[in-house]
Amino acid sequence: MNRYGLLFISALLLAGCASVPTQPPATYSQPETVPQEPLPPLPGEGVIVEPEPEPVKSGNPAVVALLDRAKSDSGAGNRGAAGASLERGLRIEPRNAWLWHELAQLRLASGQYAQAISLARKSISFAGGDRRLQAVNWRVIGNARVAQGDSAGAEQAFKLAAEFEPAVPAEQPETGLFGNP
Amino acid sequence: MKLPSPPWNGFPFNINFRSHARAIRLTVLVLLLGLSGYILYLDITIREAFEGRKFALPARVYGRALEVYPGLKLTPAQFVDELKAVGYHEDPAPEAAATYRYTLNGFEFTTRDFVFGDGLQAAQHLRIEFAEGKVSLLQERGSADVALPLLRVEPPLIGGIYPGHNEDRALLKLEQVPKPLIDALVSIEDRKFYSHWGIDPRGIARALYKTLSGQRIEGGSTLTQQLVKNFFLTSERTLTRKGTEVLMALLLEMHYGKDEILETYLNEIFLGQDATRAIHGFGLASHFYFDRPLERLELQEIATLVGMVKGPTVYDPRKDPELVLQRRNIVLQEMVRLEAITQAQFVEARQKPLGVIHRAPTGTSAYPAFLQLVHRQLQRDYREEDLRSEGLRIFTTLDPRVQRQAELALSQRLADIEKARKMPMQTLEGAVVVSSTQHGEILALVGGREARYAGYNRAVDALRPIGSLAKPIVFLTALEHADRYTLVTPLDDSALVLKQAGTSDWKPQNYDHKYHDQVQLRTALAHSYNVSTARLGIELGVDNILDKLPLYGIERRPPSFASSLLGAFELSPVEVAQLYQTFADGGFRTPLRAIREIVTADGRPLQRYPLNVEPVAAAAPVYLLTNALQGVVREGTAQSLGNWLPAEMNVAGKTGTTDDLRDSWFAGYTGDRVAVVWVGRDDNKPSGLTGASGAMTVWGEMMKNIEPEPLQPEVPEDVELVDVDPASGLPYDSKCSTAVVIPFIKGTAPTETTTCADVANILPTDESPVIATEVKPEVKPEVKQAPEKSWLQRLLN
Repeated sequence: MNRYGLLFISALLLAGCASVPTQPPATYSQPETVPQEPLPPLPGEGVIVEPEPEPVKSGNPAVVALLDRAKSDSGAGNRGAAGASLERGLRIEPRNAWLWHELAQLRLASGQYAQAISLARKSISFAGGDRRLQAVNWRVIGNARVAQGDSAGAEQAFKLAAEFEPAVPAEQPETGLFGNP
Repeated sequence: MKLPSPPWNGFPFNINFRSHARAIRLTVLVLLLGLSGYILYLDITIREAFEGRKFALPARVYGRALEVYPGLKLTPAQFVDELKAVGYHEDPAPEAAATYRYTLNGFEFTTRDFVFGDGLQAAQHLRIEFAEGKVSLLQERGSADVALPLLRVEPPLIGGIYPGHNEDRALLKLEQVPKPLIDALVSIEDRKFYSHWGIDPRGIARALYKTLSGQRIEGGSTLTQQLVKNFFLTSERTLTRKGTEVLMALLLEMHYGKDEILETYLNEIFLGQDATRAIHGFGLASHFYFDRPLERLELQEIATLVGMVKGPTVYDPRKDPELVLQRRNIVLQEMVRLEAITQAQFVEARQKPLGVIHRAPTGTSAYPAFLQLVHRQLQRDYREEDLRSEGLRIFTTLDPRVQRQAELALSQRLADIEKARKMPMQTLEGAVVVSSTQHGEILALVGGREARYAGYNRAVDALRPIGSLAKPIVFLTALEHADRYTLVTPLDDSALVLKQAGTSDWKPQNYDHKYHDQVQLRTALAHSYNVSTARLGIELGVDNILDKLPLYGIERRPPSFASSLLGAFELSPVEVAQLYQTFADGGFRTPLRAIREIVTADGRPLQRYPLNVEPVAAAAPVYLLTNALQGVVREGTAQSLGNWLPAEMNVAGKTGTTDDLRDSWFAGYTGDRVAVVWVGRDDNKPSGLTGASGAMTVWGEMMKNIEPEPLQPEVPEDVELVDVDPASGLPYDSKCSTAVVIPFIKGTAPTETTTCADVANILPTDESPVIATEVKPEVKPEVKQAPEKSWLQRLLN
């Protein structure tokens, strides 16, 4: 009878030794309807003339820390994370025109031109009498319009930018900057 | 030797088989082959069942992470609530992750490692102090303390999207399970769990003996066997069943480790029934019986759940609390005997009451309405099975503090109103939406007065006529024609009969059933005059106005009738919030968002829902509209909001009341919050409430407790502020104490001026004018009294 016992156990083992199927690597169906994030950067993108010296963009060290983090993330090519940091900053200071401006710059660098323009306008709405902020925002709008192929609109924006900051001659980005014909 | 004759039909038996022994051997072999096949079949079955459970990881949904920094308005009580909500424990030496201790002015605490959408935030040892209702200090503790500019507290888990058919589950990873639970479970159910190989022969022998000797059929099951039994839920208790169970248990142990089996067991075991819904697993049971995640249960509560494993139908704490209490104490006794807990812990735990909540919540989330909104947004972008199984981590905008105030205000105010008006209880229903002004983030969403219970989500699904909430669209359109309309432009409020093709004659009435001849535009809005608004809208063109709705994010197109201008079309509360968002945000439309980002189970960012804005209305007319909506609160239909919020808050808002007092609405905004409240009845019968006596009181009560920022919009460049005579709307030619300050788009203020009526009122020119209010309209008495009643009720309660 021992032999049958062995047979039984080996049957059990046989079943037991069948390998556990390895889990297929998890795949994620990329949503089809979702707007795709950044377009590949165009040469020269994000090169926005920043007048010296650095302005004080926030009196709140928390916001300053987030601005720094956004800058380093953006520098490392991680624009998604940079945007998240700027949004965190905006939750702390929703009316900080510099934060809105930085977000506009980021969208411009990501090739999201319509959003860059909207966000720059939003920044202008909080800029109050800050001419420098007005100027840099109009420059964002100008650059975004160039990229959109709206050369007349761009020219108008650059003119406004120049008006707001006559002291620092605005480096007029050549229309070729964004590969415009 | 004569061979035995063929036994039955003459078949030459002896030709093939020399002996009985061989026949038996062959039979056994065939049987064994059959058994092997059967075992293989069992093996496949049990593994499929096990794998199916094991790898389904639900999406986990988080609320907003609290950002803490010096200067933030936050009290120690609010801060510690936040820590407790994410499972921190008090500890005299708070060096382990998720521990804290009180200090003189605040706390010392240690955070956990947490993977956010932008990467890992490592655990930190911190100190926080508070002064005058604000964070006064935030430091990293170390050999030398370092000031920390900002801390992002781990976000609270607010729900999940679970796999399963009629099964609801709050899946746990083994490391999330409190150690006392495992100790208790092993102590009471299967002491040899870590050493046996699936079955406990002595247990089986005992069970077999009792069953065969005619005593009652009994378990003697190991945790592994119980798990097997749970996969194929049947109450059948036969020896065959038991045999199958034993085989499957052995097979399971061969394939999987103890931890895997235990984790699956903890998620699988049946712990109760809620109508058609089976309660599986300790995670869900913790919500079902204690309304808290497992991590936050106390020792005796853990013991209660473990005690119920024996038979949740019999040991049902809601049906037989006494029996469950006894069972709980047996579990505790066993734990102390096996030294899983100390004597002191035992004594303390045993004295505690059962603590099971009276009524079970209907899901695992405390925020079913918000979670439903999140789920719907996700369903647009993801496949359902990925949501339920890929372990996605979803970061949302829900602010539990705002949510709590919204829920409380709605449930308390509705109960108070019903009591004060002697209505039958529970006849009124309501919904609340709160969003952040500049970012369009939905901070709170309440789908009904019993916010904890999933059901009809009125905030999203209830379509109701919006009544006067539509008026700002008409007035904004007018103010955009700055050459024709200012805030003081006289409007005609005399009787109107409109003949329109396709509908019967339309004769709009004012709420007070009077006509007011000529009224200033701002007054018509403040007092919500229907007739002058209708005349204004017709003048501007009904379609011209309604065509603008998509700009403000409203996709539904109301019928092209003039009555639509007075809100004879339906929107949900969340759509109304979208509409008012644009007014609150200076003409920028920001699509309302409930989700910020989605991260995969291994921490890779999958998708962000970034902040998008679009300028859809010029700043100046929107500024004028906001000023007029502030007039609604200062001197118009929402004047009694002053019972909740101080005048300095400068709230802008609008009441809405529909025919026969069916729907009561209030939509309004402060410097940082937009909120919409609807109150009415599910059967659409008259509620007897105006916007001011119903929804507005909820809004006021909620906002008072949220402590919003005052509304001080930037004055656009092309707007000037002018002192005018409130009665005529004409600018004064000198400073006058009766003047009101009215914004005009530059160059549109009336050129004609008026003289200060009383010389005594003329002020020296260098003094700012005192803003005088107009003659206050009569306020409906019940509105005035409402807060007093609620105060009295509170006292009586």
